[in-house]
Amino acid sequence: MVGLFCEVRAGFLKLILTVSGIFTTMKILIIEDEEGLRQSMQKYLEQQGYVCETADDFLMGMQKVFNYQYDCVVVDIGLPRGSGLDIVKKLKEIESKSGIIIISAKNSLEDKLKGLEFGSDDYLTKPFHLSELNARINAIIRRRHFDGNKIIRFNEIKLDAEAQRVSVNKKPVDLTEKEYQLLEYFIANQRRVLTKSAIAAHIWGDEYELVSNYDFIYTHIKNLRKKLVDAGSGDYIKTVHGTGYRFTDI
Amino acid sequence: MKLLAKTTVYFLIVMIPLLAAGGIFLFQQFSKEIDYKTDEELIYEEIKWIQYLKTELENGTTFILKTPDLLIYPVHEPVNQFPVISDTYGFSEDQDTRISYRELSHTVAINNIPYQITIRKSQQQKAVLVTNVIRLMLFVFAGLFIATLIFNWLISKNLWKPFKTSLEKIRRAELHKMEAIHFDKTNITEFNELNTSLNYMTEKMYNDYLNMKEFTENAAHEMQTPLAVAQSKMELILQDSNLTAEQVESVMQAETAIHRLSKLNQSLLLLAKIENNQYDTTETINLPGVIKKYLQLFHEVIRDKELIVETNFTRDFHLQIHPLLADSLVSNLIGNAVKYNFKGGKIIINTTENKFRVSNTSQLPPINPLLLYKRFNRSKQSVDASTGLGLAIVKKIADTNGLQINYHSENGLHSFELGKNRI
Repeated sequence: MVGLFCEVRAGFLKLILTVSGIFTTMKILIIEDEEGLRQSMQKYLEQQGYVCETADDFLMGMQKVFNYQYDCVVVDIGLPRGSGLDIVKKLKEIESKSGIIIISAKNSLEDKLKGLEFGSDDYLTKPFHLSELNARINAIIRRRHFDGNKIIRFNEIKLDAEAQRVSVNKKPVDLTEKEYQLLEYFIANQRRVLTKSAIAAHIWGDEYELVSNYDFIYTHIKNLRKKLVDAGSGDYIKTVHGTGYRFTDI
Repeated sequence: MKLLAKTTVYFLIVMIPLLAAGGIFLFQQFSKEIDYKTDEELIYEEIKWIQYLKTELENGTTFILKTPDLLIYPVHEPVNQFPVISDTYGFSEDQDTRISYRELSHTVAINNIPYQITIRKSQQQKAVLVTNVIRLMLFVFAGLFIATLIFNWLISKNLWKPFKTSLEKIRRAELHKMEAIHFDKTNITEFNELNTSLNYMTEKMYNDYLNMKEFTENAAHEMQTPLAVAQSKMELILQDSNLTAEQVESVMQAETAIHRLSKLNQSLLLLAKIENNQYDTTETINLPGVIKKYLQLFHEVIRDKELIVETNFTRDFHLQIHPLLADSLVSNLIGNAVKYNFKGGKIIINTTENKFRVSNTSQLPPINPLLLYKRFNRSKQSVDASTGLGLAIVKKIADTNGLQINYHSENGLHSFELGKNRI
């Protein structure tokens, strides 16, 4: 029953996205050997309306990369029977149009640089928030597919990703940089519960933990919510008690 | 005390009684010789006197002779067959010094009249002999002393050379450069044994070090993946709208714990990597730039806490350091200054050419200098959970990048000062 509900919801989401002209169904390949993590990523991304395929080792990953076209490939570096970096290299060799996100247990600058040099678009260190992965995939796909037309829509809210401008019912809303980033992150992870730590890490970075707990994000969210509602949009930002926030129109 | 000095002292201590014994032996030998010569002279003299007396006494006169060194007078005592020669003491002619005499005493019958003949001879030369012998022995001792000094110097210069070379190598040994150290063969068996053992030891240490380094890194990396699995599962569970408040709280606590574990892991990994010198220092970083970056980043919390930030970048503070470490250094120091501050408090940041100082007001008591840079020494009054590794990381970065870090606290103002080591 829940599964069906999810399907319907995902379908509904896809429908909205398709209608709004931003997304067609996007295909994502997840190459990760750790089953638990692979399934989590798949589930979360599918809930957000993506079609996901998975590969659990190097050879299978290579094969899929060769045979199919994906909008984005999420690849782990440490794979059985080979390195994820070689898959990245191969993707560049065959001039694939896929966006590439490397996920790695190593938080080393050298590896990051190497990954980016080989042509990956982003690098995510384990452990990461699924919402963060989703936001990054969103950003990469938007960059790759909608040259010159980087518009994000959510009902009456319209975001111009290029100019970082927001309008509600074509009426511009003046947001600060952080508020804009918050909104973009909320829309990318719409209907999902987002923890305060995930939100803080996305907008302010990990280093913010050095100075404070997450209470300060409350002010930002309160301001964003007020600005949007004042501009005539629905009150989409819901507080989830004890956890964080959810951006939803349901 | 040096080994050689010690052996020298022992040698000399042993030499003193030996030399003394030698001196005594020498003195006795000479003394016996002198006695023998004197005795011969005394007997010869007596014979002469007896001959003289015999001729003189034929006239029937009584002969008495008394001089300090010669006594001849008649006695009523039985006659001795042999003269008695003994050592006595008397005063020299000027009656000042007591000197020893060799004395011959004989009651002899001359023309049937018993005469006492006492002849004595000064043994003054013996005193001279003692001084001569002592002087000689002292001379020998001094000679030995100088000889051993020169000898030791030569030995320590040449014989101990391989030992000193090895010692110098050990002194300069650094764990991560152990591989390059080799203790060469020498022509002295003991040193060869030492060097072979040292070679074995350094090799083993280096291999252990490599293993440990690899282990630390691998362990930390391997931990990240299961943590990622756990975290992603928590995130998915949270999406379930049927959860009770209690369940949500449990999941959130678990998520926080996982997050903390991951942070700890990353910090430990960073420490291990700094210790293993995996960050090269080819880049020159200007610290005020990094400071500004973090003040900008922490801007919102600074504003929320109504902190007054005074910056005084009088000079650039250039540092040869890996950019990641510069970030870590500055973010930890400024982060602490913000975190442990109170609302409306103050942060003062100064940089000069070789100094960088961050001071902040705080209600926390001064930190115990002994625990300051200790790992996992978290402030007990700390508001929220920290890893307890921040200052340990700062200290480690400072140590490996030629920086000195000092802390002092005065009137509720806590200051950390980084200074370049004078080379």
